[in-house]
Amino acid sequence: MGDMNGLNGLYGHDFDEDGFDDGVSDEEPEDGAADGFDDGPDCDLLEEELRRAAAVLDPVPTELYRIAMEAFSLRDLDARIAELTFDSLTDAIPVRGVLDPPRMLTFSAEGLSVDVEVTSEGLMGQVLPPQTARIEVLSGPRTAAPLTADDLGRFTCDAPPAGPFALRLRTGAEVVVTEWLRA
Amino acid sequence: MDRSDVGALVRSAVDGDAAAWKALVEGLSPLVWSVVRAHRLSDADGHEVYQTVWFRFAQNLGRIREPHKAGSWLASTTRHESLKVIRSSQRLMPTDDPQLLDRVSEDRTPEQSVLDSEEAAAESERIRRVWQEFEELGERCRQLLRVLMAAQPPSYQEVSAALGIAVGSIGPLRQRCLRRLRARLDARGAL
Repeated sequence: MGDMNGLNGLYGHDFDEDGFDDGVSDEEPEDGAADGFDDGPDCDLLEEELRRAAAVLDPVPTELYRIAMEAFSLRDLDARIAELTFDSLTDAIPVRGVLDPPRMLTFSAEGLSVDVEVTSEGLMGQVLPPQTARIEVLSGPRTAAPLTADDLGRFTCDAPPAGPFALRLRTGAEVVVTEWLRA
Repeated sequence: MDRSDVGALVRSAVDGDAAAWKALVEGLSPLVWSVVRAHRLSDADGHEVYQTVWFRFAQNLGRIREPHKAGSWLASTTRHESLKVIRSSQRLMPTDDPQLLDRVSEDRTPEQSVLDSEEAAAESERIRRVWQEFEELGERCRQLLRVLMAAQPPSYQEVSAALGIAVGSIGPLRQRCLRRLRARLDARGAL
């Protein structure tokens, strides 16, 4: 998550400017006491009203609760995590005219890294330093597609991940799991 | 779930306590979903971000340095992933307007239908009016209030992590935004 600061610019301008483009005049008295609305309790009531509205009109979808409950099985206390250290989405300069560039990702753990390229065709990658490995493509708590990396560490998967995915690598010595990512 | 329980629940979940995990999911899902919606993600993108965030939380459970700040961890991860979605969609479709998908739909969900029973009709109408006026607030207010209104009210630390704004600015901004919302409602004679 080292690039988090790089993203601030996206919304930075919204927070620098007034942003209150809501048709209510800025001349509105700031001492809300005049209209009887300066009060914590009144603010709290209105916030509660919004909370009730959100619970009815935009609640957490039920199936998402279920998926998050099941995610408990994704605890991998013994595996090492390979963190995302390069993501073309945020770290590469966009190429003009290329509408659907492949997503290039690098995950790194101490002494081991995995390069992955995701296209609409599927997923290709290489374990570095080159070595054989058994690889599972995880796409949620219950599904995994097993692959094998050849002795140069290369592997391919014919289907692109649908939704969030992670790779679980079993090398001779250990288990490494990549950080979960939305493809 | 009380926010002061978060640290203990995380530690119990690390030890394999499924009930603790369930309490965390129930207690903090509304925050994650609110942050997704504050960024105006579509249903499809929002579902994927929500899942990515919870999968990553499960994966990192034993490694979270400050378990009592798990809510802020979730809020900040959700923000980060939401901004990535916005960034990728801007790259692919630079001219597209942000999708306005959390508008009140004309189709009634089961929850709304319950509200439409006769006794609840007035409440239903008020909720719709509040929501409609909320949706038409400026972007900064809409975003802040969408996070604040999560079931199980988030802490200001969590709001700060969710939106990348200073903790100290949240209180004044909140009051200003709620006052604006109140003014809009009063102007329509809604409440």
